[in-house]
Amino acid sequence: MSRRDLPGLLAAVVVASPVLIGAVYSTLAAVGLVGVGAQGFTLERVIDTLTSSETWSGVAWTFATAGAATAVAVAAAFVLAVRVRDRRFGQVMAMLPMAVPHVAAALAALLMFGQSGLLSRLTYALGLTTAPADFQPLVYDRAGVSLVLTFVWKELPYLTLTAMAVLLVDSRELEEVARTLGATARQTFWRVTWPQLWRGTAPAVIAAFAFLVGQYEMPALLAPSNPTALSILIYERAVDPNLLRRGEAHVLGLLALSISGLLVVAHQWWRARAEPGP
Amino acid sequence: MLGLLAFAIACRSSGPPASPPAGTLAAGSWDRVLSQARGTTVVWRMWRGDPAINAYVDGWVAPRMRDQYGVSVEAVEGQGPELVNILATEREAMAGRPGTTSLVWINGETFAQLRSENLLDGPWADGLPNASLIDSDSSIVSRDFEQDPAGYEAPWGMVQFALIYDSARTPDAPTSISALAAWIQRHPGRFTHDQQFTGMTFLKSVMYGLAGGVQAFQGGFDEQRYRQGRERLFSWLTSIRPFLWRNGRTYPPDVAAMHRLFANGEIDFTMSNNQNEVVTKIRQKVFPPDARALLLEEGTIANAHYVGIPINAPNAAGAMVLANFLLSPEAQLEKQRGDVWGDSTVLDVASLPTPWPSRFEAVARDAAALPRELLASRARPEVHPLYHARLLQDWRQTMRRGTP
Repeated sequence: MSRRDLPGLLAAVVVASPVLIGAVYSTLAAVGLVGVGAQGFTLERVIDTLTSSETWSGVAWTFATAGAATAVAVAAAFVLAVRVRDRRFGQVMAMLPMAVPHVAAALAALLMFGQSGLLSRLTYALGLTTAPADFQPLVYDRAGVSLVLTFVWKELPYLTLTAMAVLLVDSRELEEVARTLGATARQTFWRVTWPQLWRGTAPAVIAAFAFLVGQYEMPALLAPSNPTALSILIYERAVDPNLLRRGEAHVLGLLALSISGLLVVAHQWWRARAEPGP
Repeated sequence: MLGLLAFAIACRSSGPPASPPAGTLAAGSWDRVLSQARGTTVVWRMWRGDPAINAYVDGWVAPRMRDQYGVSVEAVEGQGPELVNILATEREAMAGRPGTTSLVWINGETFAQLRSENLLDGPWADGLPNASLIDSDSSIVSRDFEQDPAGYEAPWGMVQFALIYDSARTPDAPTSISALAAWIQRHPGRFTHDQQFTGMTFLKSVMYGLAGGVQAFQGGFDEQRYRQGRERLFSWLTSIRPFLWRNGRTYPPDVAAMHRLFANGEIDFTMSNNQNEVVTKIRQKVFPPDARALLLEEGTIANAHYVGIPINAPNAAGAMVLANFLLSPEAQLEKQRGDVWGDSTVLDVASLPTPWPSRFEAVARDAAALPRELLASRARPEVHPLYHARLLQDWRQTMRRGTP
């Protein structure tokens, strides 16, 4: 490492320090040494939390919805990026959802997909349903339909933007070369565009997924009560009327952090294998 | 990082020295408190989730405090459980220096937690000039979830839990716990409760009713009594669960979601911890004009809410002046108006000088408001806060998690 690397390294440490300090504080709070309700060292909260089926069903549900949403959003973003990269109007349209706050998007989803929402009123007007309860539950539902759709809608512009940037910088010339060498459009896409897209957007995809895992406002408005989304579980514990249980919020937070950390490590490992360094 | 945070906060609050603690001020003369308070700002942490309450605080209380006492009132977000976290963190980070908050809006479990963590200053509340106007004979006002406020908090208002229904849509509304269960079974999918404080207050009211009345639960937390009550309540809930909204597989996240479902006709009952919310919501055209409040015969839980002064308050004098103003007849009357907030007074209205008693009577008269005698006869006090904490935990684990 040369002296020139120092400022960058320092900046990285500053960025990471809240997470590192927070992780240390949370660890202390999880074992009852600091924070509200702390009464001395105990592993009770860690054990209670990690052996509770509520925790793991919440984790599984959160990862399933975030994963499904990310997969759909990535696929849609790739298609959009390839199609609209040369059309300014399309680009602007694809960016619009970015301006809508997450909580507003969730409220809109509630108005749209609720059993007395716009869609339900439409099916009622068409004579397909006769009462709100006839309409398929799409909010507070175990499948998380409206939540996943809202996740997709909110992530789409971000991923499209990233994908378009990748295409503009990395792909165009290579695509042209492939075409002049006689590759078909299909071959060009799968041999040139797709690998470029995938490699270029992978960090953004992981970031989007991690963001959705930690999202609070949208599950608070749209998620079912059982399973309970991870962020809701953390909030419920953080404000539990029983002070002794507040430490469990830190256990859950650390759990979420570890899983996100594992993802980042897995991505680095995969990248190192795929692209051996110089 | 905590050191950095403390430094940042200390820089922000530097300037005029902190006023003496409320306990010390209360021992001196009121004129001294008034003069100490003049020209200061009171940061008041409270629940900011209701525009009507915010309008009362920011648009009615704050200007009068400025004009009459030269005190600026700055209301900021921070309620109940979060408040405990905020104040505890401030104390951890700031090692004895003044914090950010001078007044907090609290009751019940929050009061218990702040007291047990030694985060409240006092005693000061009984020395306020307007404290003599308080209805101290009322068991609802004088005991906060069975705890003696002991001068560490001053009462501000009083509310009583009520079910809300549309009398045009549901003319046969049930009035007892057993009739409610029968109604729910006859009308599948039209009743539910939320997962937070309001829902738990409903469940607690039912638990009292099913297990020998509130008397059975008074006198501190008793594990045996709690378990008996919980058994009865959960078997009652199990009998109605298949007939609840969405078959009891999911519950609305909060009471705002309940109101939305009710207003949209997805369910026939919503609920409120404030019996007058129905009046306010009809005037706001959120609820239909025929919406009414309903008290079950077995009684519903009533409680008072209070204001307290944190141990690290930078401006205890200003906070005391504000707490005293909130207890004045004019401030209490304004707050009780249906188109303002509809929060009942904690004053002994009958013993106020004329014309105050008749003014309060006039405000209480509204087609959708319940008569005062009925409210009083069905009001049940809160019990030890641990009943609430345990019920919430067990309901989540057994009823919510155990959904079929």
